[in-house]
Amino acid sequence: MVKRNDPVDVVIVGLGAGGGPAAKVLAEAGYSVVGFDKGPWLRGPEHYSGDELKFQNRSYLWPDVDLMPRTVRSDETTEGRIFNFSPVPSAVGGGTTHMAGWTPRPRPSDFIMHSLHGDVEGASLADWPYRYEHLEPYLTKVEWSYGISGLDGAEVGAGFRSKRYPSGPLGPTKFGEKFYAGCRKLGINAMPLPMSHLTERNKLGRKAVNRTSFWNQYGDPTETRSTVATTYIPEALATGNFEVRADSFVKEVVVDRNGKATGVVYIAPDGSEFEQEARVVILALGAIESSRLMLMSKSARFPDGLANDSGLVGKNATFHEYLFAVGLFDRELSPALNGFTGNYQSGGSMHFYETDYDRGHIGGGIIATTQIGQPINPILPGKPVWGEAAKDADRDYFLHSMKIGMILQDLPQETNRVDLDPTVKDRWGMPVARITNKPHPNDTAMSKWQIDKNVEILEAAGAVRTMPVYLGNEFTGNACHQHGTVRMGTDPSKSVLNEWAQAHSVDNLFVLDGSGFATAMGVNPTLTIMAHSWRAADYIANTYLKGRSERLVLDPITATK
Amino acid sequence: MASKSEWEKLDLTIDPDSDEKLFFSDHEWDTIEAAAARIIPTDRDPGAREARVIVFIDRYLSGINYHYATADGSGFLQLAGEEARAARARTSEFQRLYRAGVRELDAEAIRHGAEDFVSADEETQDAVLVVISGSPKPTHVRLDEHEVFYSRLQGNSDTGKSFFDTLALHVRQGFYADPVYGGNKDQIGWKVIGFPGPKSLKDTMDGTYTTAPFFVQDYDWKDLLLTYEPPTDDN
Repeated sequence: MVKRNDPVDVVIVGLGAGGGPAAKVLAEAGYSVVGFDKGPWLRGPEHYSGDELKFQNRSYLWPDVDLMPRTVRSDETTEGRIFNFSPVPSAVGGGTTHMAGWTPRPRPSDFIMHSLHGDVEGASLADWPYRYEHLEPYLTKVEWSYGISGLDGAEVGAGFRSKRYPSGPLGPTKFGEKFYAGCRKLGINAMPLPMSHLTERNKLGRKAVNRTSFWNQYGDPTETRSTVATTYIPEALATGNFEVRADSFVKEVVVDRNGKATGVVYIAPDGSEFEQEARVVILALGAIESSRLMLMSKSARFPDGLANDSGLVGKNATFHEYLFAVGLFDRELSPALNGFTGNYQSGGSMHFYETDYDRGHIGGGIIATTQIGQPINPILPGKPVWGEAAKDADRDYFLHSMKIGMILQDLPQETNRVDLDPTVKDRWGMPVARITNKPHPNDTAMSKWQIDKNVEILEAAGAVRTMPVYLGNEFTGNACHQHGTVRMGTDPSKSVLNEWAQAHSVDNLFVLDGSGFATAMGVNPTLTIMAHSWRAADYIANTYLKGRSERLVLDPITATK
Repeated sequence: MASKSEWEKLDLTIDPDSDEKLFFSDHEWDTIEAAAARIIPTDRDPGAREARVIVFIDRYLSGINYHYATADGSGFLQLAGEEARAARARTSEFQRLYRAGVRELDAEAIRHGAEDFVSADEETQDAVLVVISGSPKPTHVRLDEHEVFYSRLQGNSDTGKSFFDTLALHVRQGFYADPVYGGNKDQIGWKVIGFPGPKSLKDTMDGTYTTAPFFVQDYDWKDLLLTYEPPTDDN
């Protein structure tokens, strides 16, 4: 039997980058808010440390693939294979608890890809229903509350900023220094990427970031990584208006006869089912799980899934892909590069971000040099797995290699999508997300061009041998970025959400993660997700829940193709 | 309810010098130890044998008590609920894989004229591993070669692999994982490759361990960057 809780103003499903800011904004505005996460509420000082085996290999933070599987396939006719595609920690704080934390701003061009490029064959390019200038105030709010470091004045071609960074960046690693040297030689503008941590003498008065180098995909025992679990969740709790229900799986969004959301049904830690009613339902599970929950929430009004009149829920999924080139240096001739050091990124560039048709592809992505890794899992493509050759590879290159990666901006395609797997079920007996995806020719071209450029930088930096890793014939979800599955737009026949990430057909349903992003951007999405969530939560608190509605009117764009 | 956030601590530690077998039989222990010694051989530097990789693998296969160290490394976490059930199922699978793997190593060694894998000489052991891995013995990474790669579905987890791939991965993990897991004795693996790791997991939690000295110490962004114009306004 389903038990009922007292109704609240707002339910938020998923307490990561999307749910966190919304919880803070709405609780601080005086609304009663309950937040759900299917994962546990882990605490840095109690649960995290520099244990490579536990965090990198035994998936302490990531969903257990036997309990919460996903399936993936490259086309409609093949059967999905179980794979931990685009895993994000199952925990309060979500991806922000483990991510390296590149937090570059998007560029104005990211919001108007269709206006810039028109229809591209095989892709479903669209403009966002708002623009950079509408997000800018919220990017600033996030940078100054979440805590982002960056080097003011280093990004050539950046969009307008209303305020500087609250903290300077960490200094370079040895391989970062090589990267900068290679870029200078080739005339490339490089910079320390904005990151979700602070350094000495920051303007927020917080502790400087930990220097253990156990960083990407590790939880941080010192709580000096800026995460939702260490900022927005405690801030929301401090109001007394917010409650966290961890280890609680939301299986359905309930709607009434008219299709208005009335709340959610969830499975509590003891296995019993509850219904939680609310005036507003916010989904922020990440683009895979948010669309999955909508597809699982079938009703008389929405037989194909919640708010799915357009049939687009789950479609136009974009995942980015992390691709890279590794450079090997001669240990006899070159000092150690210490590829195990750093807070993952140690120098990047947006020099190749904007479209240049001469490159043979549209769009572009951010690049950065990053840690090679710790001893169990250093990155060396084609590495020998046993014998003297394997031992020598570690001895020769663990300290004498570096890598330069890219975030591939994949174009949206309707056929790249999330739906419900017909046979595979999760630990709660619910159908799991099945991902169907294949790269667009533009994605493959971008990968080739940019990785070759990264190879050039490595060579300019002194690498003796380079090993490019290009995009293969399917995405692997290795960036752990997800967007597009519940697309925002102005036309309800071509999108699911409007410019406030509010469902066209369910006015008290908002989807505040990357699901709404009409195109993938070429930057890591977390900063944008947080600002996007804050902006929509502002609208919910100050307009929607006050019984009003507003529409955003956009000025026409003069194409500069 | 058995939330991961409330898993109890088991007061267990692993002695890398222990010869007590929690999972393997004597013969299985010797066989896996010998195979591990060909995967990371002893040469001018210590190898899998000296790092006590065999202890690491035996404890991992013995059940689910040694899967996750506590954050500070003072014990191990007692998995509970659904996570424990899933981990137990995977462990049973590994146990079957290793038991069958040892039989396969012996059978192949006999086909190569030895009495069993342990008593075969190193060349024969390598030949057996070549057969079992299905690939030639790996050759050295060379600086004068060129090869391109493509992204593909792969994870860092140890499930869904063949016996040989599982063993090679576990040997690597046992050589390089934090010593609390029973391998990497006295940080032998880390010393071989020059990784200045923490003295203990606890040292990574409280600021004791730092890699700051391994960064560039003196730098000026104006020298490093091609274009850098620090803002002069007061925003």
